[in-house]
Amino acid sequence: MWPSIQYYCPCLSSANTLTPPPPVLASSSASFHSLHNLYFCEECDAVRCNRCVSVEVSGYYCPNCLFEVPSASVRAEKNRCARNCFSCPICRATLSVVASDPPDDGTGRPVTPLNNVGEAPYLLYCNYCRWDSSEVGITFEKPTGLAAQLQKYEDSAPESLEYERLKEHFEPFLRASSLSSSTHLLPPTSHHLHTSSATAAASAALSRDIPGISKYNPVARSRSGRDRTTNKDEMPEYKSRVEVGLFGQLGSGGDDADVELLRYTETAGEIAKLEQRWGNSWTTSLRMSELRPLRIPLHSKVSKRCPACRHILIKPEQKAQSVRYKIKLAAANYLPALSVGFPQTQAAKRAAGKGADSRNAGVMLAGITNNAFRVALTNPLYDPIQVRLSPQRVTDGRGFQVSLPLTPFSIGAFAEAWEYDDDEDMFDMEDDELGLEAGRGSRDKDARGRAKNVGVLERRANVTVVGGEVNVHKSYRGQVKFNMLVSYTYRSDDPLPSEDGAGTPSRAVVKTPEVKTFSFYTVVDLGPVLSKDDSESMQQV
Amino acid sequence: MSALTTTPRGKTAPTTPTATPTTTRIAGSHILQASPHYTTTRRHSLYGTEDRVVVDPGSRIWKVGFGGEGRPRDVFYSDPINAEPLWGLSRASDAATRAEQDRLLEINIERRMRSVFHESLLTDPKSRKVILVEHPLLPLHIKEMFARVLFGNLQVPSISFAPSHLLSLLSVGRITGLVIDCGHLETAVLPIFAARPLFPHLRTTPLAGSRFTSHLRALLLLFGKYAPPPTNLTVVNPPLANRLTRVPQEILTALLVEDIKTRCCFVSSVFEARHDIRPSSPTTSVSEADPPSESDAAVSESEFSRASASDVPESFVSSQPGASSDSGTGSESYLQALANLYTRYSSASDVQLRVVPPISQQMGTGRGTLIVPGWIRERAAEVLFEGGDVDEGSVAEVILDALLKVPIDLRTTMASSILVTGGTAMLPGFIPRLHVELLRAIAPPGQPQQSSRHGRPAPPPYDRYAELRPLIPHFAILNNPAPQVSASSSTRAKANAGKAPAYTPALMAWVGGSLAGALKTGGMEIAREKWDEAFSSQNDDDETAITAADSEQLLESIIPDWTRIPLPVGALSASAAPKSALAPSPHAQAIARA
Repeated sequence: MWPSIQYYCPCLSSANTLTPPPPVLASSSASFHSLHNLYFCEECDAVRCNRCVSVEVSGYYCPNCLFEVPSASVRAEKNRCARNCFSCPICRATLSVVASDPPDDGTGRPVTPLNNVGEAPYLLYCNYCRWDSSEVGITFEKPTGLAAQLQKYEDSAPESLEYERLKEHFEPFLRASSLSSSTHLLPPTSHHLHTSSATAAASAALSRDIPGISKYNPVARSRSGRDRTTNKDEMPEYKSRVEVGLFGQLGSGGDDADVELLRYTETAGEIAKLEQRWGNSWTTSLRMSELRPLRIPLHSKVSKRCPACRHILIKPEQKAQSVRYKIKLAAANYLPALSVGFPQTQAAKRAAGKGADSRNAGVMLAGITNNAFRVALTNPLYDPIQVRLSPQRVTDGRGFQVSLPLTPFSIGAFAEAWEYDDDEDMFDMEDDELGLEAGRGSRDKDARGRAKNVGVLERRANVTVVGGEVNVHKSYRGQVKFNMLVSYTYRSDDPLPSEDGAGTPSRAVVKTPEVKTFSFYTVVDLGPVLSKDDSESMQQV
Repeated sequence: MSALTTTPRGKTAPTTPTATPTTTRIAGSHILQASPHYTTTRRHSLYGTEDRVVVDPGSRIWKVGFGGEGRPRDVFYSDPINAEPLWGLSRASDAATRAEQDRLLEINIERRMRSVFHESLLTDPKSRKVILVEHPLLPLHIKEMFARVLFGNLQVPSISFAPSHLLSLLSVGRITGLVIDCGHLETAVLPIFAARPLFPHLRTTPLAGSRFTSHLRALLLLFGKYAPPPTNLTVVNPPLANRLTRVPQEILTALLVEDIKTRCCFVSSVFEARHDIRPSSPTTSVSEADPPSESDAAVSESEFSRASASDVPESFVSSQPGASSDSGTGSESYLQALANLYTRYSSASDVQLRVVPPISQQMGTGRGTLIVPGWIRERAAEVLFEGGDVDEGSVAEVILDALLKVPIDLRTTMASSILVTGGTAMLPGFIPRLHVELLRAIAPPGQPQQSSRHGRPAPPPYDRYAELRPLIPHFAILNNPAPQVSASSSTRAKANAGKAPAYTPALMAWVGGSLAGALKTGGMEIAREKWDEAFSSQNDDDETAITAADSEQLLESIIPDWTRIPLPVGALSASAAPKSALAPSPHAQAIARA
């Protein structure tokens, strides 16, 4: 989507370079983020993004019932909600618990249930696709604690039983081999001399038995017949609990049945999708109708830390229902918010008049030297800031140049809405600055009669709008996308600089306040270039 | 090699002095392990440090979960939008393009890895050891990316790389066998003896999932039928049969083809008619289109699919009007004949799918209908079994090739413990068919048709697998759901075929990784300290002049891989043993000599 502006986080760039990659590379998009996704570490004085912060879980909750799950049961329940939350195996909608119809007493009149919980057995029912759990034979005696009622099936799942058996199968073997190798390999004397330890280890390694290859024994070697190859491992044969070869004969499908099912199926609808069965480590039926309800996976509340200094950047409140944060160092509170747009010129208006089409066509025209765009900067700080924009020089001969006001300009302080009762003051102050700016910024532009395009165009409250121009070469096609360094100077509340001055806060107040500068990179995307012919034909349509 | 690969015995007692810190840590955590819910001051340690995270990062589908569990917690496409593989078999040759490709790949891997810990597993990576299931031919630069992301960005305490083939064997309770992994990019066969992968005997073929997909897609474009949605809901529309057109290119999105592949396709038994089609067979009279001879078939069908892998989109758009356009007439008319033949003998039903119509046809009247002919569903997988090419042997041929390389006294053992894993092996009917194909490929080649040319007797046909023929009674696929044991099968084959637990082929490697995690084996651990040490010292030494070669060497010293094995601790024997560039370790040599 264009026009857009994104902020750079240097975490992906190698070591010491802070300049962002050229925006033409597809990989550069991973380094740029929109402002609301970024954090700001006060300690490191740096922007941090979601790709580099380290994430810590500060609590688990079920997204469906918002129950805060204690960590102890998170592990046992495998990150799933252990209450009544299930999702539909077909459409992933949340299932609701419904009671069965009351029994017909023969009189034809509906029997009013004694209470509003209805009759057992209870079912899980999907309000979206009408799937219900009785299709796979799952019903419940009581309408609460469904997960616990299903637990016994899960505990006896064939894959976990087989898994335990496999573990038992390997454990003695491993124990034996670790014992033998530890006695072989770590002789207590080997620590005395480095050389001796090396040779000891080497000789131990050499003398160690290789399982399956018996010690050289000429008699056995010459005369052992066929049986020599039967079992070369030291391992005993593993006897499976459920053999895959017998699986099909147990009545629950199997490979042949699957082939037959597929051979005669008419619609793909009755076959479960890959996504619906790829988590099953155990051979299961392909039929959609045999899918079982899924327990809803838990979500976690996370706090994020700066990867460098480990300070917390954002920390949510503990309660699952709360959407507030205890700590929140969002970059939006530190960096000026930039937004980019096009002025309502004739061409742009015409393009906008085309409706949907104008979204696909560029506003930038090839062969035109003054394609105008605007950047609006919003100051989130309580003090005015001085901003300086410097678009990165495009050196690789791409066909456009960007002109922006290169001299610093100011943005007013952020103030809460109710503080704007006294507008005159602000405008007085702004006016001389504006005059100064305009005079400086448009000194040379005036001569050519387009002072209005480049320079500070508008200033109100804590927003300043500056205009820029793009000169696109005739032959250039592609995106107009460039990196831009934004530096801003602000008055620091930080007592740090004045500490060497014997820490007298009064002096800091009296003197001109300490000033600091912060710079960050952005990428400005002005969309694709439209050739003149295209745009004319578009306007004729 | 013993120190590097996952030998259960080598692992539990690290022999190198550098590994001592780890040993003590393991010993310490054993105590912690004793009480499952030990209390710590750290709030979020739900799991002991020995509960490892097991990640099986396929090029297309990732399987992730915790060690000690019987099934993964989460399975997802590595590229959730197009389900494209993250990496392929080729890299750009131009250095700049390649660097950009690598950056993109690393970004994607990082994104996936972060989501594994933060979204799938909801756990803190800083206290989770990781077992990374690796394919033996996973490119080293990708392996290094995994290490960089895990150590650098996520700061996991340690990584163990474990070969997928060995882990698959663990999941069926064995440590010896011939494992064939039929995945997306490649089919790789690796013999493993006593938990030691015999890497030099690795054999691969690109006939695997992605080739199957492109073949299926090409067949659908040629022989599939498509009915656009009704133009108008009020007027009575002609019946479906009258609205059928060829399949437009743009509706066959990657996800749709994937859906057809995973929900509609299956593997049927060998197409006998192809043999019987010779004049002696009575069926010939029925078939109007004489299919070309066997060898011709092999060449043209695979050629066709190979072409389809690269440039089908354009060529098929241009050849819309008729099935046999002038471009590539040979293969297309052959395919038409094959299609006729398959149609005639296929009992599989046609399947109708509702598909999103192309933008030009979206009138708000619902979805179009795609009809997948039954024979495509049944026979698309033939491409995997069609051998004859030196570089792209059929899936059965690579198994035999690997067996040819295996030392003679291990061949019987290997032949009778074949394990088939990988996502493509999930096709119903794949494994029984593979068994049949094995026997077919090993059978003596038929006599050439023209017995003599220019009066000279024809040379005897090249009999590649004659050596292996005594193995026929021993062939047994461990996880064959329909074990074909005959009276002639050896007792070992009978004892092995179909005796594996019914884990699905696609997840065997993950389950094995989970077992390795639970049993605390599974590859040499690379500790983060080692990684950090190497890279921080490097930064201190020369902050400005870090050359790519330097970091390459560092990585090499830290990340083990069988292709660059430094001689293990017992390396003194290397001088005694016959030197061979391929033999990676004294063990393999010992085995070879035994």
